[in-house]
Amino acid sequence: MSRALEIAEQALSTVRGGEAEVLVHAERSGVARFAASIVHQPTLIDNAVVRARVVQDGQVGWAATNRSDKESLGALMSRAGEAAGSAKPDPDFPGLGPRAEYPDVGGYDEETASLGAEAQARLAAAAIEAAPDFGLYGYFTSGVTEIALVSSSGLSAQQSMTDAVCLCLAADDGASGWSERTSWRVGELDPAEPAREAAETAAKTRGAGTLEPGTYAAVLEPFAVAELVRWFSYDSLGAQGYLEERSYFCGRIGEQAFDPKISLADDALSTANLPKAFDFEGTPKQRVDMIESGVIRDVVWDRVTAARAGDGHASTGHAPPDAWRFFGPMPTAFSMAGGEAGSTEELAALVGDGIYVTRLHYLSIVDPRGGVLTGMTRDGTFRIRDGKVAEPLVNLRFTVAMSDVLAEVPALTREPMLVNLNELYDERFPHAALVPALATRRFHITGTGSGPGL
Amino acid sequence: MKALAEAAVDAAMGAGASYADARAVSLRRQYVITKNSQVDDLSDAESEGVGVRVLVGGAWGFAGEGRLDETAARDAALRAVDFARAAPGSRQTELASLDAQSGSYRTQMERDPFDVPLTEKIELCLRAEEGMRQSKVKVTLAMVRAQREHKVLATSDGVAIEQELVECGGGIDAYASEGDVTQIRSYPSQHGGVSGQGGWEFVEELALDQEAPRVGEQAVALLSAAECPASTTTIVLSPEQAVMQVHESVGHPTELDRVYGTEAAYAGTSFLSPDDLGNLRYGSEKMNITSDATTPRGLGTFGFDDEGVPAQREPIVAEGLLCGFLSSRETAARIGAGVGGCMRADGWSRMPLVRMTNLHLEPGEGSFDELIQDVAEGVYMETNKSWSIDDKRLNFQFGTQIAWEIRNGKLGRMFRDATYTGVTPIFWGKLDAVAGPEEWQLFGLTNCGKGQPGQEAHVSHGASPARFRGVEVGVSA
Repeated sequence: MSRALEIAEQALSTVRGGEAEVLVHAERSGVARFAASIVHQPTLIDNAVVRARVVQDGQVGWAATNRSDKESLGALMSRAGEAAGSAKPDPDFPGLGPRAEYPDVGGYDEETASLGAEAQARLAAAAIEAAPDFGLYGYFTSGVTEIALVSSSGLSAQQSMTDAVCLCLAADDGASGWSERTSWRVGELDPAEPAREAAETAAKTRGAGTLEPGTYAAVLEPFAVAELVRWFSYDSLGAQGYLEERSYFCGRIGEQAFDPKISLADDALSTANLPKAFDFEGTPKQRVDMIESGVIRDVVWDRVTAARAGDGHASTGHAPPDAWRFFGPMPTAFSMAGGEAGSTEELAALVGDGIYVTRLHYLSIVDPRGGVLTGMTRDGTFRIRDGKVAEPLVNLRFTVAMSDVLAEVPALTREPMLVNLNELYDERFPHAALVPALATRRFHITGTGSGPGL
Repeated sequence: MKALAEAAVDAAMGAGASYADARAVSLRRQYVITKNSQVDDLSDAESEGVGVRVLVGGAWGFAGEGRLDETAARDAALRAVDFARAAPGSRQTELASLDAQSGSYRTQMERDPFDVPLTEKIELCLRAEEGMRQSKVKVTLAMVRAQREHKVLATSDGVAIEQELVECGGGIDAYASEGDVTQIRSYPSQHGGVSGQGGWEFVEELALDQEAPRVGEQAVALLSAAECPASTTTIVLSPEQAVMQVHESVGHPTELDRVYGTEAAYAGTSFLSPDDLGNLRYGSEKMNITSDATTPRGLGTFGFDDEGVPAQREPIVAEGLLCGFLSSRETAARIGAGVGGCMRADGWSRMPLVRMTNLHLEPGEGSFDELIQDVAEGVYMETNKSWSIDDKRLNFQFGTQIAWEIRNGKLGRMFRDATYTGVTPIFWGKLDAVAGPEEWQLFGLTNCGKGQPGQEAHVSHGASPARFRGVEVGVSA
């Protein structure tokens, strides 16, 4: 039995009467963050958060602590009970999750789990040494995350997961390039690779020119695709936004809304992603096909939204971690089907005339119902001329409707890439998008900004 | 807590650190959220631990342990030293000198927000929700929150500080929907309302329930409002939108760690360079920006920052000229000016970073009405809805929840989906009026993200309505 599960069961054992659920979210991690090829913010974290949910006559209260001694766990359950006692009965409350069987999805690697500070620093150094012509900015991180969930309804779930991520920005004055690698097995991750790729891109970005605003065909690298999909998901791909009529999918289930080459699922069961067996309500994870061959199929659900819908929907295993509970169920393991193109160069050849985008920055939702996003390109923006990646461009402001971006997609690359989505806020919860590069006929540029580089 | 912080510092110095600091932190956060007349979230979270930061051979190391005992503190110190020793790269790290400090600081308040019964908080939220209800309002939401942070800082150069910071706040949202149009209206801000340092009296003064009917009515009115047309025109920003403009286009670019590139991979850098200090024209002569860690009720108000530097009030932009940066002891030493004073950490498990404290657009003169009277054609924009700015903080685009046409000095028809865009120093150069102190309002935001691992800072900004000429509005997909 894991330490997290032990703590959860100990907390649950202090409950006398009523229904209760205890979640333990534990983390042991290191982040070797570097700038100008020097590790400047190395952070080691060791923590376990215990979160209790108590239900009394349909009234629900929550409490959390990171103390795990017996007295503190008892006090935690009392505080959650007091909160429940103050609440109002919730007629939509679906009850605590039932006992379930969970598949062995993998996602834990002993070599990754055993990495200590020295190894994390060494792997950061390997990235830095691979980009000698530029300053390297980013981090190497690895960690072990343990989730344990038990409840008075008989639910008992536990998973340990590992992740390793190396993010690399190679930059100096007037030049910058980006790449990254993510895996749950550190043995599959060579930090030198993203560093070299970032440096190769950076070397092509000097002397960037401007671009007239307008609608352009574009090639989007997987890093850019992942960001677009993530920001589209906040309102449009979860059941809360759907039920509250903020989702682009409202009234469009079954509609051929996008190019038939677009298929987007959430698939946490895949070992090619960062696999997870269950969600934060203890519901087994399911693959959800959100878009199939351009047809809108579904959003992701948790028990709360499924009960609120009251139309036969069931949880798909997408209850979010506590820090995101406000947003409702969310996809956290995007999987976009690849296409026929062998490389981004082939995509550029198909586009003919357009722009090439490596990475996006600081997105925001302009109109949730319309699926309209704005943001900037950065660290590798180029013109495409005559089917080839040509001169570098300054960073471009885009304001796009996702329905336009995905309406006409000449091609996608064959092999999707795993792109990290975890910004390491709150408790560690590794998650990522498995997405290909994509060519679109419509990417709306509304302005220009700073040039590449520092 | 003091003993264990000192034990961590001693352990780090004994293990070979040339400098060490340790923060022992105990944090409690409470949220009450109601949605569509049901209690949506009723949570009470506490977290405690110690974070130890060390310098070894000029390299930083940091480790956080989620326990408050001397063994954990010493362990964290030794792990931090080990990490610093292993860090690649050679460097010289100097810290601006700081006289030994000891002292304490405690938030002044009338009514401790944690003494307010949960039932009273729920009733306030439900009352506010009830006020927003309209036939086309599909979702109503009300939220109140409270936070207490007790922290002790000890450093190897003689700092011994104890502080207790208490804050609370709240906000309401109404989502209206009809056909393919969904609109949101919020008060006092979209982003989880606003918070202030102080007692429950802060939440009571927000008068969420009294503002609710207007919020609900405007959400519905937006459904039939015209989209804000594209043009280049005069805009007047409400104080709430003006503070977002200050936050994104002045606050972040003047953080000296960004100027030196240490945030380049994530949040980005800055269009400013160290040489711009005292030389760069940031905006018009109407632009005066102050960093003030002493502002009453500010979320960035403290006795000392997380390096032990006493709270300061400093001009950042004076009559349009850049005259200050937000700094740490390390970046202050590097630029050769100041002593820092803006280092803040998110709880015990994160390293302090250069953060905004309270950053204000200083008031000018005159009323809001007088600001509008001088506009023949323009748009008045209120309450932030979307925000985005490039990695050097130059090109930005903001959207607001609601806007009104200004014609011949008067507010006219309502617009929805209003946006405006610009480039930072050019935009601030178009500032031609800021209303007076009687219109000045303080907004406390709790979602300022930065750093890897990520940290959320709580910062406040004050502003009066501000007027800009010749701005591009109505950007659309």
